[in-house]
Amino acid sequence: MSVTLENVTKHYGGGQVVVDRVSLDVQTGELFVLLGASGSGKSTILRMLAGLTAPDEGVIRFADRDVTLVPPQKRDVGLVFQNYSIFRHMTVGENIEFGLRIRGVPAVEREQRREELLELVGLGGLAARYDSQLSGGQRQRVALARALAYKPAVLLLDEPFGALDVKIRTQLRQNLKEIHKTLGVTTVLVTHDQEEAFELGQRIAVMERGRLLEVNTPEKLYAQPRSLFVATFLGGGTILVGRCQDHKVALGGLSLPIPAEVPHDEGDRVRVLIRPEQVRLTAERPRPGAPVLGQGEVVEQNFSGATRRTRVRLPPLAGVRQVVPPLPFGEENPILDAVVPAHDPPTPPAPWVTLEAWHILRQPTPRLLVCDEGEGIAPALELAKPLVDALDAIATVLGVSPDARRQDALREALTERAAAAGLAQPAIRVRRGDLAEQIALEEREAPYDFVIVGAGDSDPRPALRHTNLYEELLPRIKTPLLLVRGRPRRFERILICTAVGEPGKADIRAGGWLARRLNATVTLLHVTISGRTMPALVHAHLTRGVATLRELEVKGRPSLREAATPLEGILAELRSEPYDLVVTGAPPPLARTPIRSVSITQAIVRRAGCSILVVPAGTW
Amino acid sequence: MSTRAYAVTRAGRRAAVPASLVVLFLLPLILMPLAAVFLFAFRGGPLAFWNGLKTPEAQFALRFSLLVAFATAAVNTVLGTFTAYVLSRYRFRGQRILGIVVNLPVAIPTVVVGTSLLLLWGPIGLLGRALPSGLQPMFAPAGVLLAHLFVTFPYMLGAVKPVMDEMEETYEEAAYTIGATTWQTFRYVILPTLKGGLFAGALLTFAHSLGEFGATVMVSGNLRLKTQTAPLYIFAQFEAGNIEAANAVAAVLALLSFFIFFVLLRYTGREGD
Repeated sequence: MSVTLENVTKHYGGGQVVVDRVSLDVQTGELFVLLGASGSGKSTILRMLAGLTAPDEGVIRFADRDVTLVPPQKRDVGLVFQNYSIFRHMTVGENIEFGLRIRGVPAVEREQRREELLELVGLGGLAARYDSQLSGGQRQRVALARALAYKPAVLLLDEPFGALDVKIRTQLRQNLKEIHKTLGVTTVLVTHDQEEAFELGQRIAVMERGRLLEVNTPEKLYAQPRSLFVATFLGGGTILVGRCQDHKVALGGLSLPIPAEVPHDEGDRVRVLIRPEQVRLTAERPRPGAPVLGQGEVVEQNFSGATRRTRVRLPPLAGVRQVVPPLPFGEENPILDAVVPAHDPPTPPAPWVTLEAWHILRQPTPRLLVCDEGEGIAPALELAKPLVDALDAIATVLGVSPDARRQDALREALTERAAAAGLAQPAIRVRRGDLAEQIALEEREAPYDFVIVGAGDSDPRPALRHTNLYEELLPRIKTPLLLVRGRPRRFERILICTAVGEPGKADIRAGGWLARRLNATVTLLHVTISGRTMPALVHAHLTRGVATLRELEVKGRPSLREAATPLEGILAELRSEPYDLVVTGAPPPLARTPIRSVSITQAIVRRAGCSILVVPAGTW
Repeated sequence: MSTRAYAVTRAGRRAAVPASLVVLFLLPLILMPLAAVFLFAFRGGPLAFWNGLKTPEAQFALRFSLLVAFATAAVNTVLGTFTAYVLSRYRFRGQRILGIVVNLPVAIPTVVVGTSLLLLWGPIGLLGRALPSGLQPMFAPAGVLLAHLFVTFPYMLGAVKPVMDEMEETYEEAAYTIGATTWQTFRYVILPTLKGGLFAGALLTFAHSLGEFGATVMVSGNLRLKTQTAPLYIFAQFEAGNIEAANAVAAVLALLSFFIFFVLLRYTGREGD
């Protein structure tokens, strides 16, 4: 029987999302694996399939039957728990027969079925044993036989090999595979073990923090992952970032063509995944035309039985950065992971590095969280449309209702207003509770790149002014927060203030990234306090800032201002030129004092006349 | 394995001194009083013993005690199991406090229990005064039962709750997914698992009810042939100077207690294996 999940969501008591809008299809007779680290929500999905936990939103279907709220007894599923939960007061035989006894199957038939199953799982002759007389592997088989006894339409397995040692695990995996082949029952297996998922799954769904990242066959997931997480979660390898030039990514002297299905712009950063077994290390210089990265230097070799794991330091590759694995401190050249068959001749100390294959990852799509109140002016929504177009982003529209009764009305209003603002079918989220608190919760639960909020002080009606919304949001939020003020227009002139707090790079990066996508010019402002100037330091700081912008291919000019306080300097700069957007860092949370002192960020937000992007340190 | 080997060598080498020390101080404290019950009961010969048991008062007291003990064990088995289930399986406000309160009866002096029951259910008590005279529980068998239920409540709970706590929730969930209804799950999965705890709890309750004195003496009024339990009878006869009559019933009570104790010992020993 096929199993379908449509937008299934589950929250814990505290409002934290465990399963976030998961949709998937399991074919009839398929062995489907849900793979993820602990806390990824995979077990919760299994419990929802079994009927032991009810989803908060979404629909679960077995074939055409909606079973979302059907109790476990009526679902016709077999579930094998991680701890097996064999009934201790019953013999193995009684355990297996339990489901049949409940269903009123006559004793003769039960006995026959019991013997069949014991044979199937390889426990013939052990019917009279009790739980305490079984080994871990035998327990697992009993649990499996018990779950299969009444021929369930769907078999669910929760980490069935988790508690067993490696040798037995391999054997039982093989058994499970054979049993599945014999019975052809639709099976969903949950595991955190990548190897297990590869060996068993006909298809694998990778989950992270409640979200379903990718579903595919093991081979495709390994060779052509779409996201960075899947690429690194499944198997090892090195990920290098290079620049896109003429539909190719440049890794030093090597240019790798970018496939058409990976959307890319000229100058984009493109991530290249190189699996260890795709690297060839040779003593002789490869023939011309081969994809050569250059002559490297062996850093480390580890013998692991069938293979030798080798790490090779590459020659410097201009414009290439290594993301995975992170380079040791002070290392400037990329270091590539390679695997060589152990019987190959020893790797020379300075081998030539050739790529036999590689995979180009898709660009991550920026995600915007657009907060709207469902009435009054809609500055955040109006800005969302040009941003979505310019950044090629996905927008989620969030509304917060103070009480449950108005949630549906708010959802309707949001849909209407989003359409009016020109957003094509955005995801609509409605939450209940305090505005600032719910925005912060949503931001914590799902990964967003920018949170967009109306500054709230420009609405003509006083009742709709939330002048203190951003003040409540600022200390809570960890994503760059865009406060929209006035009628939003295109951001053509951006002012990045580096005077605030720690001269962080996050604000320059985030501001620069936006500027490049929006084709805006950037002014990098540093305010020096009168009488306390340290020209050399300031100069170095600004030079580095401009260099960062240049790297992002943004035209930036530095500006130095002397003033009594940083705030005055910034306000003076804002008066001198018509800026559309001010970018500033956020005060680190620890800097907040028990007394409600006004941070410089808050002061800028209050007194600047234009939109503001607040970038928390360490986000970009 | 290693600890056992260690114990064996200890016993072989130096156990003689500490062991005899223990026997020495236990002699006046426990061993001699235990023996005395039987010695005094049979001092006048078997006939005197039999005569002591034959009187209607003695007969009634023993039968009444057994009846109350059975009833107490039965009621507390049901209530205690349900309480244990709720405390173990649900999370609610005030759960901790409730968990402490239901165990309090072991800590309160039984005489105090008797007085408070009298103040509550007595003819002029808070609740008792509302009842018609025919339904007054105090100085009636119902009062004795109330007192015993109170005093022995923690024993059932103490025997069942640990078993319940240890039973993973997936145990019940497994039964649900297999297709068992809530009742079938309770009947075929939970109850058999609790069997040992239930049995031990019921026996403990029974034994404590059989020997209860402090609360009983307050709420029963010590009425001959009406509310007098065996312990009260023994006390009354002793006070009146009928030592033989008192000792005969005391010996029977002691024998009963021994029997229950050995059953418990054997049962828990087997469970332990």
